[in-house]
Amino acid sequence: MSTAIKIKEINKSYGNLQALDDINLDIEKGEFFGLLGPNGAGKSTLIGILGGLVHKDSGKITVLGNDIILNYRETKKSLGIVPQEITFDPYFTVRETLEIHSGYFGIKNNTDKINELLAALSLKDKAEIGPRQLSGGMKRRLLIAKALVHDPEIIVLDEPTAGVDVELRNSLWEYVIQLNKEGKTIILTTHYLEEAEALCDRIAIMNKGKIVKVDSKENLINSIDKKIIKIKFADPAHELKEELIEIDFKLNDDQRQIEIETAKQDLDKILRKINDLNLDIVDIDIESAKLEDVFIKLTNSGGDDD
Amino acid sequence: MINNITFFSLVKREVARFSKVAIQTIFAPLISTGLYLIIFSYSFQNREVAGYGIPYIDFIVPGLIMMSLIQNSFANTSSSLIGAKYNGIIIDFLLAPFSYIELTLGFMIGGMVRGLVVGSVTYLVATFFYGGAVAHPFLALFFAILVSSIFSLFGIVAGLWAEKFDHVSIFSNFFITPLTFLSGVFYSVKGLPGIWSEVSLFNPVFYMVDAVRFAFIGQSDMAPSFSALIIGSLAVILLLVVTHLFKIGYKIKS
Repeated sequence: MSTAIKIKEINKSYGNLQALDDINLDIEKGEFFGLLGPNGAGKSTLIGILGGLVHKDSGKITVLGNDIILNYRETKKSLGIVPQEITFDPYFTVRETLEIHSGYFGIKNNTDKINELLAALSLKDKAEIGPRQLSGGMKRRLLIAKALVHDPEIIVLDEPTAGVDVELRNSLWEYVIQLNKEGKTIILTTHYLEEAEALCDRIAIMNKGKIVKVDSKENLINSIDKKIIKIKFADPAHELKEELIEIDFKLNDDQRQIEIETAKQDLDKILRKINDLNLDIVDIDIESAKLEDVFIKLTNSGGDDD
Repeated sequence: MINNITFFSLVKREVARFSKVAIQTIFAPLISTGLYLIIFSYSFQNREVAGYGIPYIDFIVPGLIMMSLIQNSFANTSSSLIGAKYNGIIIDFLLAPFSYIELTLGFMIGGMVRGLVVGSVTYLVATFFYGGAVAHPFLALFFAILVSSIFSLFGIVAGLWAEKFDHVSIFSNFFITPLTFLSGVFYSVKGLPGIWSEVSLFNPVFYMVDAVRFAFIGQSDMAPSFSALIIGSLAVILLLVVTHLFKIGYKIKS
């Protein structure tokens, strides 16, 4: 696998605020990469520098081997960036907007690709109307279509599903997964951590302008030593309080359901102990750590939203 | 350096943008110019311009055409850019693979097209008032192209600098309108008393109006070659300035 984006020692400050602090990151071709972090972590600033919207103070970024400053025309052709803010050109219909954008990227007669995007993003019946008449979710889909109209090798999605309803969100992800399978590199920032967990191969977690961790999704999740055991009993289990006195657990009001958070190594011990109580068990569920746990641990954040 | 499809897409977008609101961008300016023509042709119908020996209406038509052209070239680029900043679509021009000269020329030509269209329509309307004779038509077109490029570029500077629509009107009200009205559109600068005649020579719009007047009536206050030098120099300077502003991302990149 070769490198799609190489970010080396990138710094950016706004006055006294160090928005990006010595960022180093390699993203491989064909990856589905997640860039996560709380509000103000520096994700959008980094994407802005990548796309030429923000000046960097120092450092170097290459896209498919081309420097984003020296070979900016090549790098911009390789990138399709969906910005976080919803923007639209009020003068042109959806189709006209996509035609104009094709032209910006040097593509003439791009009707097939435009029709493909209109269909994939459920905008076909809105093609001839102006963006003012589109709902917020539709405007966001138009943004996505604009970013993909030149068939870029690397697609950067900055909060692409904010304000998009569940059904369309699912169809959008299906399309993005298909693009990834076709070999496109996808970089995703999202506040929906379950989306990142479901989609991304590798994840970088940013906090306060720094990358605090980059690893595969599995390694990140496995780095949290946590299991949650949920057991439902047929009858109220009053005796649990005394028997499990040395274990931290939650018993619900009717005393039929228990939730225990434990380290992996204690799992066997706890289950044996409960088994020894000879209670009738109706249901049992053991959950592993989630990406959200990793996120909270690394950012010391409750997952505050932008 | 220039990708034809990329570059012409921007020109096409700029022309389509003002064409979609043609009533506001093409026909509305004709009303004020038409009123000038009606009022001045009626008020000064028997008056000749001192030193020129021609009817007053013949004298002011080139200036009025220039005025329309200047105002509309400026309005197109300045409103396009401040609108793009306001709507957030300025990032479309930054994310796309435009070279800085493509951005400069693309916006500039869009403004020039609007200025030249409004100027041409103004000329057609003016023919009803003065007969329509043009002494040097190609020279008139040459100067019109040059002047529209200058004010398109000036409009880009204003649009990049402005943070809200009010800021653009500062340029219009405090620079464009005074410089245009004091450029000799309605009078001969030669006939101004004392120092005012010399002060007018520092107004670049004077050379533009004077040069186009030469192209129309074959007479002018200054030698047209000298005016051409001033106008041409200004166009080149502004072209370099605007290209540099796009290169540094002046007020559009953080």
